[in-house]
Amino acid sequence: MLKFKSLRKTSANFGLIWFYLVVFIVFSLVAPIFRTTQNLTNILSAYSHIGIVAVGMTFPLLLGGIDLSVGSIMGLVAMVVFDATLLFHLPGWVGILAGLLTGILAGLFNAFLIVRVKIQPFIATLATLTAYRGLTYAISGRQINPDLTVVAIKDPLLLSIDGRFGQIPFAFVYLIVIVIVTMIFLRLTRFGINMYSVGGNLLASRLAGINVDRVKVLGYALSGFFTAIATLVLMSRMRSTQEGLGQGLELSAIAAAVIGGVSLNGGIGNTFGAALGAFLIGTLSTGLILIGVTGYAPQVVIGVILIIAVSYDRFTVARRKRRWLELQHNDSALIGSGASRT
Amino acid sequence: MSNNTSNRGFNRRSFLKVATAASVASVIGLPSLGMERVLAARRAKDSYKMIFIEVQPDAVAGSWSQGIAEVLKTQQIIDYQLLDGQSKVDVQISLMDTAITQGVDAIFLQPTDSVAVGPSIQKAKDAGIPVITLNIDSTEAHASHVEMNHYFGAIDIADALGKAMGGKGNVVILNAPPGIIIRDQRTNGFKKGLEKYPDIKIIADQSAEWDRKKAADVLSALLVANKDITGVYGVNDEMALGAVDVLKSKGLLGKVMVFGNDGEKAALESIEAGELTGTQYTDVFQQGRFAGSVATVLATGGVNPTAFQQQSHLLMPYFILTKDNVGQIQPNQRWG
Amino acid sequence: MTDNNILLKARGLSKQYGAVQALDNVDMDLRLGQVHALVGSNGAGKSTLVKILTGAVAPDSGKLLIEEHPISGNTRAMLDAGIACIYQDSQLVPALSVLDNIMLGRQPTRRFGFLDRKTQRDIVTALLAKHDLQLDLDSPVLALPPVQQKEVEIAKALSLNARIILMDEPTAALSHAEVEKLFRSIRRLREQGVAILYISHMLDEIFTIADQVTVIRDGKVRLSVPIAEISKKMLIETMLGQELSAEVRVTQKQSHASTEVALECRGLSKTGLFENINLQVHSGEIVCLTGLVGAKRSELVRAIFGVEPADRGEIFVYGEPVKIKHPLDAIRLGMGFVPEDRRRDGLFMSLSLGLNIIMAHLSSATRLGLLAQGTIRSVGNEQIADLGIVPARLDAVPRSLSGGNQQKVLLGRWLTGNTRIIILDEPTVGIDVGTKANIYALLRKLAAANKAVLIVSSDIEEVLTVADRVVVMAQGRVTGNFDQTQISQELILRAASGEVM
Repeated sequence: MLKFKSLRKTSANFGLIWFYLVVFIVFSLVAPIFRTTQNLTNILSAYSHIGIVAVGMTFPLLLGGIDLSVGSIMGLVAMVVFDATLLFHLPGWVGILAGLLTGILAGLFNAFLIVRVKIQPFIATLATLTAYRGLTYAISGRQINPDLTVVAIKDPLLLSIDGRFGQIPFAFVYLIVIVIVTMIFLRLTRFGINMYSVGGNLLASRLAGINVDRVKVLGYALSGFFTAIATLVLMSRMRSTQEGLGQGLELSAIAAAVIGGVSLNGGIGNTFGAALGAFLIGTLSTGLILIGVTGYAPQVVIGVILIIAVSYDRFTVARRKRRWLELQHNDSALIGSGASRT
Repeated sequence: MSNNTSNRGFNRRSFLKVATAASVASVIGLPSLGMERVLAARRAKDSYKMIFIEVQPDAVAGSWSQGIAEVLKTQQIIDYQLLDGQSKVDVQISLMDTAITQGVDAIFLQPTDSVAVGPSIQKAKDAGIPVITLNIDSTEAHASHVEMNHYFGAIDIADALGKAMGGKGNVVILNAPPGIIIRDQRTNGFKKGLEKYPDIKIIADQSAEWDRKKAADVLSALLVANKDITGVYGVNDEMALGAVDVLKSKGLLGKVMVFGNDGEKAALESIEAGELTGTQYTDVFQQGRFAGSVATVLATGGVNPTAFQQQSHLLMPYFILTKDNVGQIQPNQRWG
Repeated sequence: MTDNNILLKARGLSKQYGAVQALDNVDMDLRLGQVHALVGSNGAGKSTLVKILTGAVAPDSGKLLIEEHPISGNTRAMLDAGIACIYQDSQLVPALSVLDNIMLGRQPTRRFGFLDRKTQRDIVTALLAKHDLQLDLDSPVLALPPVQQKEVEIAKALSLNARIILMDEPTAALSHAEVEKLFRSIRRLREQGVAILYISHMLDEIFTIADQVTVIRDGKVRLSVPIAEISKKMLIETMLGQELSAEVRVTQKQSHASTEVALECRGLSKTGLFENINLQVHSGEIVCLTGLVGAKRSELVRAIFGVEPADRGEIFVYGEPVKIKHPLDAIRLGMGFVPEDRRRDGLFMSLSLGLNIIMAHLSSATRLGLLAQGTIRSVGNEQIADLGIVPARLDAVPRSLSGGNQQKVLLGRWLTGNTRIIILDEPTVGIDVGTKANIYALLRKLAAANKAVLIVSSDIEEVLTVADRVVVMAQGRVTGNFDQTQISQELILRAASGEVM
């Protein structure tokens, strides 16, 4: 019972799960096709990679920062894999390793700008958003050899990254594993707790002897790493890439994380929420199409949900403050009467 | 996937047997029994649903959609929906999945990437849904491809521009960002066409991101560095019109020849006003109508999308328009 | 005199910031099991002393000894020496559990960095049991009421084996009942032999909890006695500078006050801050609003100016009832406000003096949406000349100006345009004596020009010097209202300590 209560106190996840269930049930009732296995498989397959990026995004956000470069990291990682396999005809495992390494290095470079050069995360990753995209164009095998635009990757290892266990897409399985591992990391390891500390109260963390810089470096590296994993999943499905791959991904990932209860002020939230947030967006987008809402309405709906998610956060904080203030006021009235009697 | 429903009670060996049979059947192109049922059901239907997945909202896609809708509406039994791919290939893949789940009867697709949509097209074919691509082909064979003629059109643009420049001078290309096949086809065609004019040099090839304002900025910068530019090729009309904006403000109209591509309404008006030198015109409404007609026949006829040995290509006729012949384009052919 | 109970000795601590002597040869002893209160007005030097004790700044001279061993160094060294500080601002991580906050950065781990939750829980449970603290270990601290958050900070300090705990305004966010709870915790600490330096403006609290009290004023220790040997009145007098009363008499001023009421508040209240405030300022009158820190005077004037509007009550400007929901409303009504923290809330540090002066009346200096440089120049030059701002250059930036000149720039902002009511919050804090006199003369000139002036001031000397009328507040209420014939230091002090006159 105590455990249950504290879980409720710590996470906005409860509210989100309820909201998700409501959305799910409503769509199931309105659009029978929504609750078919095939549709659910579609949603899992279409939003798992965004969920994975949102999990990565959770770390910079927890630190009170942001990573705007994830979309460009995706483009860059994909182009590295593309070049390795199609341009240089290297085996798939080399491409995979090179891709993962690229993601980590891109994250580490972000961390370098933020921690060493001391640029604000927003500005630093805005700069690398442009820089990584430019680099993607520069190394594009599609430009070097235009014929490659119509060639699909055939490497069996790369192609086997995406697939299905029955109706469950691999991508979703990866996401589940990643969420479990990151949740364990965040809740049960010192480094994880330090993420919350640094984002929640930087000064206190420093005074407590936490190596704040190291925690930040890890956070941005993880963001790059998980983006690379998501890229591999997506590439395996597409069997190719484009220079523009991942454009706008940062916004989807941030939206998913924030809807999932990760605070933009840092220190609050978890990866489970971020992943759930991605599926909430996915369920809404798909559901609205299935009930016949077309055009740009789904995007408007997601914007509204985002506003609700953020203001809910503020609302709870304000309510708590007001309650304490009232408590204090009632008591100080007592002090006043006591004082005048003396 | 289509076999999954019947595998209860199978032991491993009989499963292998069925799998082998199925793969043999697919190799020799025999429609499976499940497929035959789907197609028969489609023939018997009295209402149909079709979806167009565009790359992003713009003048060309909007006009296609208008042309498609025009044809489908006359059938009175077809429900039609336009979906925005948000310029993201993964969004398009997801929308394809959703359309397949919905069991639509045909999908119009303007792919963001030839290779990446391949598996989705394969999935649609497995579900017996014909896919008609617009402008960008897929590496995965499908029912039909309807396109403007990018490569040969660009050759003819180069020819017309070369003539207008008197066979000599310096040209700049205001290009699309890399990564879209149209860009490559148009650029390559244009370069091919200019080979006829050895005295014309391409001195710059820069991305202006399809955008009028951006194109104006790029050209302004180029004009500062190179005073002797006499020709501009905007890979779409928007960028060509951006070039016209700059030339107008610098009083260089008439001295620098500008060609666009696509032939949207604004470009035709600019030609008539004596500003834009010319463009390649395709009747995009008509292109949409073609696609709509093809889809109607395939869907209502219950045609198996894998039945054709060869994917059909519909190449749209085009004209190189200049001041001399722009008047031939009737108001109802002017799109955008 | 040897005293074995002395845990920490400070000897001859001095610290100078620019021209200001923040601490001047300060001696202090903290004893085992003693609550030692440190009091003083704003700017007296308390925070500098705290910073030295926590190692955040190094003293210019003097030394610190723990059990006769000299200590010095950065924050880490001071923590290791056993000095912990509970700051006014929370040093907790809101989303983390009590358990993690107490052992922040020091959680025991097993292999691969996995937390050893069991050991951690055992350590913390034992610690809390030893000090008789009751906290829900798994609750995130953001869900705890403020007093429990303070207790978490205390537990955190104890888990560092702190023997000396500094508490800076620990009750600032607490309700009355919560203060009682906190005191119970503090008394238990005292029984355990912990030395506590208790910094507070709340004199009632000090008389309740402290064993010893030290008063500092202008960087010097003025008094250090057992609490039993001093009365509240004497304590206040020492804080505010009693010896002044011999020399500084109520200055006989020529009052310009008219019978016209420029600004009036009736029953102004804001939950948790102030209650039922009635106040009048006449045209040509200088009213000083005084009291101890924590009397909520700044909050009141900020509410009047619409920065954080009041919940209930009415405001009248020249007899008209008005609604002020935003500073813009106040400015339109002809009010001006010079905030206490002029660097943070007043000046635009990187804009020119000209723009700083015109800022509240930009619309009058705008032609067709463009700033009229001529108007800005003429208005700015006029104010610079009138107020004697140095350097007399329109393009200078406030950053390079002295405190007094910065204040003049802010005054200049409100002297342009049609400002008729000027509110100043602590106008002379951090300003040297010469410039102070200068500013007083300016204020007098404003009153002579029939403007209504309301000044928040904690400086009794200042109040006696400039006020035509004094309103005293204590704990969010008006406790005294004296006109020029009634003003006396004693009355003000009694009212400030909460006695209703």
